[in-house]
Amino acid sequence: MISLAGRDILHAWGKFVFTGIGLGLLIGVTLTMAGVYRGMIDDAMVLLDNSGADLWVVQKDTQGPYAESSSLYDDTWRGIAAMPGVASAANVTYLTMQVRAVNRSQQRDVRAMVVGVSADGPGTAGWPPYLVAGRQITRSHYEAVADIASGFRLGDTLQIRRNRYTVVGLTRRMVSSNGDPMVFIPLKDAQQAQFLKDNEAILQQRRRTAENPAFNRPGVPGLLDAVIASQSSNNYVNAVLVRIKPGTTANEVAEPIRRWKRLTVFTRAQMEDILVNKLIATAAKQIGMFMVILAMVSAAIVAFIIYTLTMDKIREIAVLKLIGTRNRTIAAMIMQQALALGLIGFAVGKITATFAAPIFPKYVLLLPGDSLKGLAAVIVICALASLIAIRMALKVDPAEAIGG
Amino acid sequence: MSTNKGIRIEGLKKRYGSGDTAVDALKGVTMQVDPGEVVGLVGPSGSGKSTLLKCLGAVIDPTAGRMVLGDEVIYDDGWKVRDLRALRRDRIGFVFQAPYLIPFLDVTDNVALLPMLAGMPNAEARARALELLTALDVQHRAKAMPSQLSGGEQQRVAIARGLVNHPPVILADEPTAPLDSQRAMAVIRILNDMAKKYQTAIIVVTHDEKIIPTFKRIYHIRDGVTHEEAGEGRGFD
Amino acid sequence: MTFSAMNRRTLLLLAVLVPILILLGYVALRSGPLAPVPVTTTKVESRALQPALFGIGTVQARYTYSIGPTVAGRVLRLNVHVGDQVKAGQLLGEMDPVDLGQRQSGLDAAMRSAQAQLQQAQAQRDFAASQAERYDQLLAVHGTSKEVADVKRQELRVADTALAAARDALKRAQADAQGVGAQRGNLKLIAPADGLITARDADPGTTVVAGAPVIEMIDPNSLWIDTRFDQLSASSLAAGEAARIVLRSRSGQTLPGSVLRVEPLADAVTEETLAKVRFAQVPKPLPPLGELAEVTVSLPALPARPTLPNASLQHVDGKLGVWRIHADKLEFVPVKVLGSDLEGHVQVDGVKAGERVVVYSQRSLRAGSRFSIVDRIPGVTP
Repeated sequence: MISLAGRDILHAWGKFVFTGIGLGLLIGVTLTMAGVYRGMIDDAMVLLDNSGADLWVVQKDTQGPYAESSSLYDDTWRGIAAMPGVASAANVTYLTMQVRAVNRSQQRDVRAMVVGVSADGPGTAGWPPYLVAGRQITRSHYEAVADIASGFRLGDTLQIRRNRYTVVGLTRRMVSSNGDPMVFIPLKDAQQAQFLKDNEAILQQRRRTAENPAFNRPGVPGLLDAVIASQSSNNYVNAVLVRIKPGTTANEVAEPIRRWKRLTVFTRAQMEDILVNKLIATAAKQIGMFMVILAMVSAAIVAFIIYTLTMDKIREIAVLKLIGTRNRTIAAMIMQQALALGLIGFAVGKITATFAAPIFPKYVLLLPGDSLKGLAAVIVICALASLIAIRMALKVDPAEAIGG
Repeated sequence: MSTNKGIRIEGLKKRYGSGDTAVDALKGVTMQVDPGEVVGLVGPSGSGKSTLLKCLGAVIDPTAGRMVLGDEVIYDDGWKVRDLRALRRDRIGFVFQAPYLIPFLDVTDNVALLPMLAGMPNAEARARALELLTALDVQHRAKAMPSQLSGGEQQRVAIARGLVNHPPVILADEPTAPLDSQRAMAVIRILNDMAKKYQTAIIVVTHDEKIIPTFKRIYHIRDGVTHEEAGEGRGFD
Repeated sequence: MTFSAMNRRTLLLLAVLVPILILLGYVALRSGPLAPVPVTTTKVESRALQPALFGIGTVQARYTYSIGPTVAGRVLRLNVHVGDQVKAGQLLGEMDPVDLGQRQSGLDAAMRSAQAQLQQAQAQRDFAASQAERYDQLLAVHGTSKEVADVKRQELRVADTALAAARDALKRAQADAQGVGAQRGNLKLIAPADGLITARDADPGTTVVAGAPVIEMIDPNSLWIDTRFDQLSASSLAAGEAARIVLRSRSGQTLPGSVLRVEPLADAVTEETLAKVRFAQVPKPLPPLGELAEVTVSLPALPARPTLPNASLQHVDGKLGVWRIHADKLEFVPVKVLGSDLEGHVQVDGVKAGERVVVYSQRSLRAGSRFSIVDRIPGVTP
């Protein structure tokens, strides 16, 4: 037996291939949507991975440092480092802001998450775990390592608030949960950046303080300076990243810190819960809705195309039935065509999605598992979509072939 | 294949609808076509020609009567064979007014499709198709697509398709309508040749004046009733 | 022709489908988690390292002088402005003496009067002395009564006492006058040393409290950088080490200097060690006080040991180490950092010179990760 579907595809291959490519673009969009969703989750996961921490110690009763703002005194880590089971504790600050490269002819303005990392050297929690170019920060001030997605290059001068930083290293996939690229700078600079907004603000604040008679007393000459100095220093950090000793579990280390330090401590699992279930839940639902709509549109298109292709052949189908072709042969022909269309579409879609993914501004992660699920969905959708055409083909009366 | 005794119809009736709106399309048709014989079925529009053809082709159900194909009663106030599709495929050949070739199959496969559907291996089916195409003198177009053929060639391929399973009966529905008289005569000649060659009973439904004189026997159908009369049998012996 | 019609269709279809399939295969194998991780590698070198310490500080003066009146008063005039160079002893300004002049005249008069009284007492005493002497001689020859002689002697003693009192009164009057004179001298604001005027805190007419500075000056040759170094790497910081100073306003210019002293008190809150860094030569024009400066202190050189880029250091399973490429496989080798410089080199213990280690990678590596060695990580512009 010859393949009727194959012969028909061969006969009308142009129609088939181009329809398949069109369908493929639609499937590509759907796969990309799934990739965007996976990318969002991956952004959250790499954020946690790259911090290198087992525990996140944050301000009591906050969900910081990523989902909510949190501030701790910058000497809190000392007490935490002394807790049982803690291998190391490191301060970290996170601040999302605009970062400008000022050395280029056209100034680049990038929304970035500025991470202040403690000065303990590469490998410390909070530091970029790997680089793609340059070197790690060696000076305790005015050096930066930037994510390559920011578009900054080695040697660029970045303006972060009042200070300028030299980009000494580039890393990759270091993003906030929003997908903003990270810029790592030394902790003390970051603390300052968080607090000292700009010269004008500092001046204004100083003026206000000076005008307050309580602080500017003629009989006490040093008071004003002391007040201003205390106002313009920032000894807060957003979180303390804790690594636990081998052989201990996160929970058994976290519990004493919660209890005795009266701080909120998150384990990796809780952090994932916060980032994935709370922070991106709405966005994920949104994407899910889009995917459902796209799947429906794809199904409608496949159904319509197969229906049209079948309608074009209605007389041939009548002849085939008249000369004794079985219904299942005809149904198989239509379904095979639908599946072939789906497979072409899937292949084109997968290729399109893969090549389009790097162009997207936010990370698009295409998982092979998702592709396989997509393939299964495409096959099911195509099979279902062909049912209408099959039903119609089976209703064709072979008598129509006779006598017109 | 069963012993070939042609086709015999006795008192075949067909009623469309029921009650007051019922229409009796066939009121008792009796026909007999022997193997190797080409018989004309002539009648004006609405005379029941098509209904008769559809009943014979087992695509609609007659209301009453009896049909015998070869020596098997296929209808006796009800179908006596279970698989009408296999009946059509294996034991009735169809040739239509338009060739109705399958556009996405080449000439050979168009013809070979029927035996393939019946489960014959591809190569054997194609060999048989080629044999028929050779008999019909279109073997040189064996690999062409139907759209590349002329009208006459298409009709010959259609005839080959009707013959390919060596059915005891071939139903030809206006096979010459779109053809000029020369080609129409050629088709009739082929049908006659094939009828003889494969000992097939061929019923040609037509109102084509050009070919009516070629039949030896003609059934006139009018108001659902057939009348047999002798034809001129011109041009063929 | 009829033969080729079918074949041409098949060929065309293949021409479309085969590239799609090839691309699909490429896409499935070359992207996503199955793809090898591009890495760059380097050979561990044995080399000496010149470690350095980086800190920031502010320009300050070692000697600063705040000059003001010792008593509350009003500023009369000021001779200098901010930025003026002054010499030691130079009159910088004066406070308003208010009634000091009158008081001095009064005191002068009182002194003259005391002098006169002293002279008078002296004269009286001289007379009393000669009287006493005469009566003593008379008594010796019994020319007078003992009683009279006693009276004269007592008169002498009274005159002596009066003279001493008059002398003290004069001394007091002199001291008073001197005191007011000194006070007048204190109204002059005098430069205590050569220096530079840095501030004029009050202008003429302003009343200032005792001790409030009117003029501030510094010794410009004593400028130093009050520098803060992170404690983590400051262990080998010591006085005398060479330093390079970059002022914020002259970022292209490196000035030589040296560590003058490391402060014995560190900043416990910011975890920084404080040190004073002196310029080898004070730059001209003088940098403004309080300007930010970056200080790089060269520490003693480290001997040759296996050295690699700090980008190689990774933290895996609680250990710091590097990914070594051994027999085309990745293996994680824990290392100990022995020293580092500011250019991103670290000396480590754990790998040997000549071994090949991963420097950059496109993703985090795991033992058994598929990897491909490249010259540059894709996406990095040279």
